[in-house]
Amino acid sequence: MTEVTDIANEIIRKEIEEYIERPEEVERNVNTFSRMRPLMQEIAAALIEGNDGVVDQLTKKALEEDIEALEIMDDGLIAGMGVVGIKFRDNFIFVPEVLACARAMKAGMNYIEPILSASGVKPLATVVMGTVKGDLHDIGKNLCIMMLRGAGFTVVDLGVDTSDDEFIDAVEEHNAPILGMSALLTTTMPNMGKTIESFIDADLREDVKIMVGGAPVTQEFADDMGADAYGKDALDCVSVAKGFVSVQA
Amino acid sequence: MSRLDRPSKNKPTQTVDPESYRQRIDRISAIFADIAGRAEAVSKFRCPYRDRLDRCTSKFSCRNQQSVEGKDLSVCTHDGKFDYRSAWETRPESYDRIKARIKENKDRSVAKRKTSKLTSKKR
Repeated sequence: MTEVTDIANEIIRKEIEEYIERPEEVERNVNTFSRMRPLMQEIAAALIEGNDGVVDQLTKKALEEDIEALEIMDDGLIAGMGVVGIKFRDNFIFVPEVLACARAMKAGMNYIEPILSASGVKPLATVVMGTVKGDLHDIGKNLCIMMLRGAGFTVVDLGVDTSDDEFIDAVEEHNAPILGMSALLTTTMPNMGKTIESFIDADLREDVKIMVGGAPVTQEFADDMGADAYGKDALDCVSVAKGFVSVQA
Repeated sequence: MSRLDRPSKNKPTQTVDPESYRQRIDRISAIFADIAGRAEAVSKFRCPYRDRLDRCTSKFSCRNQQSVEGKDLSVCTHDGKFDYRSAWETRPESYDRIKARIKENKDRSVAKRKTSKLTSKKR
């Protein structure tokens, strides 16, 4: 029988001992991590700690050592993210830590993406995402971005306080067929409508599908503003984006 | 574009089976779906900007923030007993006003477009 002590990496050992409580999850994780090479354990440990710089370096090193991309995904990135999910579910960490871990995963995926591209795997589509002008709330948008990237979309993140021009420039520059806007305040929500009007003014409205979301936004507001779709949460955002892609295909 | 969004310039020396990759994407999506569902549930009583050390990670002001001397991040003082989201709002009960503003913005844009079309026709 495999024991926690069979895992070479001290951080992973501690994570399992301190944060994983369900026996079947302990067993599964001990089995998974104990059969991995030490470098994969190091990648997983850095991801669990939300250290994107270290995941970046180690993923690069792993590929230079001819470790297969799928092994890096399985053992380093996905196994690490699995532990993050358990810690989040059991209230040991919260959304800011999860998002740091998702950024670390993205740092690793940056090295995998060219391999996918060379293998003929295309992203589902490019999505430009941003929080509207005057609004600095970004967690909902960041969760959507995490979900979209996880589902295979390429995401251009414009951050918070995004102007109409910045949205238009990004859609044009990346030839993005999908734009997502978020607002968390009733006071900034009308700026989504203004951005949509700017796309009409720029004669680009037909080229891009626009989805909107955020706590004060409803389907009714989305319709009033002329958006193509409303996403009520991060899961819905992915469904909406996938819906756009299937219609365009 | 942030460092994380920059594509790697390393020339790939290996390939990946698309179907095997699709299976990994499904696994990642499943993990993230659980996380997103849990985030939605937790957000009802705990602000999503509050980290595990109870620090506020937001870039905006909130009435629940309390600065701590010598620390970059303030502490979140919310007690979880009410909906914290009203603390973000400057005017929480403003839906009708906002609806009117959306319509006003839209009408103004439509009128502007009509005027510019007429002007260009005259020319």
